[in-house]
Amino acid sequence: MIKTFIITLSLLAGQLALAGGVYMEPDAFIRQAFDDHPPATKVLWLDKTLKAEIETILQHKYNGFRVRYWREGERSAWVLDEIGKNKPITTGIVIDKGRIEQIRVLVFRESRGWEVRHDFFTKQFEQIELTQEDELSSNIDNISGATLSVRAITKQARVALLLHRTVMQQQE
Amino acid sequence: MTNRKSKKFTAFIWHRRIGLAAIALVVILAITGIALNHTEQLELDSTYVDSTLLMNWYGLEPETAPVTFAADDHHITQWGHQVFFDNNAVAKNEQTLRGAVKAEQFIVLAYDSELHLLTFDGQLVERIPTGTSFTETQRLGIKYNRPVIETANKLVYMADEHIIDWDVILNEGIVWSQTVPLDDSEMEQLRIALRGNGLSMERVVVDLHSGRIFGSLGIYVMDAAALGLLWLSGSGLWVWWSRTRKQRKKKHYQKHHRR
Repeated sequence: MIKTFIITLSLLAGQLALAGGVYMEPDAFIRQAFDDHPPATKVLWLDKTLKAEIETILQHKYNGFRVRYWREGERSAWVLDEIGKNKPITTGIVIDKGRIEQIRVLVFRESRGWEVRHDFFTKQFEQIELTQEDELSSNIDNISGATLSVRAITKQARVALLLHRTVMQQQE
Repeated sequence: MTNRKSKKFTAFIWHRRIGLAAIALVVILAITGIALNHTEQLELDSTYVDSTLLMNWYGLEPETAPVTFAADDHHITQWGHQVFFDNNAVAKNEQTLRGAVKAEQFIVLAYDSELHLLTFDGQLVERIPTGTSFTETQRLGIKYNRPVIETANKLVYMADEHIIDWDVILNEGIVWSQTVPLDDSEMEQLRIALRGNGLSMERVVVDLHSGRIFGSLGIYVMDAAALGLLWLSGSGLWVWWSRTRKQRKKKHYQKHHRR
């Protein structure tokens, strides 16, 4: 009985240890996104219109006027923060030709909802693009008990696609 | 006969007594309940209380002393996790503030592994994790109007004018950011700013509704008020029913037994 209890406790502790934390440093994400040869850092200044569009997606005020990114041709990488419930989730997003190539949770600071880091969730975003209405072109399945984190990651994906589109339009 | 008469009125008497006793609590319950139903419209979650009396009641005293750096004419202060531009909360950061300087285009705040860029009027422009360039910031300084960082391994980096890239430079001619003391009046202003951000109106209303604002005893007082309301509904029904029955009996008597 005691043995079972101890094993259950250790499994529980193991689960907790797997929860929040730094899964990948943002700079490591950028390096792996560009095969260890990241392009120079660039910044995108947010004008009123773009900031308003971001705030519409986030459904709250956005603090900041510029966002840095890394870009090579039609491929760009972004590291964005968005609050899950109380604390920001840092996510790295790579976009190629207007479609999400990779999305990865880099830092998770909340105590719940860390399941969004798993591939089964992030893979849903691959090849998704932004519609005319700034929505994702495919639905993202929710994870029970991690609704707020799912919402935050979905918003980050939409914002990254919007920023990518803006950068590409500026080039034209 | 006398006993029967007094028994008949017991429910009514207690209905009145309990009603009077619970009136203040029921008013609080009703008003706060309505307010909580309209939290978003009333913006209770984004309105902060700045009453000293309430703040002291809640024991919202900061645990650590504030650390302030001067950047041009402004004070940049970190108190707990809250960062202030003069007396305005601009950001939250769990890392230690290492310095603040006014550079060519921005006011720059340096933490252990993050920078904040502010406009000269204190609006947040960007949060920059410094991991891509360096880690473990120890000091922030200024040279040629550009921010300079000294890391734990004693390397010194200077940013370009847009603060995008950093280059290693020699540790020469750098003016390092220093902490400055705050006078009593500045401390008081800051305390008000900190407390103002710490207690939302929603929390006060929720605590009033539950009675927690009066401590653990308050919860039981509000429970008593709720039980009182239950009693009032029951006793009210009883009084109404017994009066109706009495009137029916009276009418019946008048109709069939009066001579």
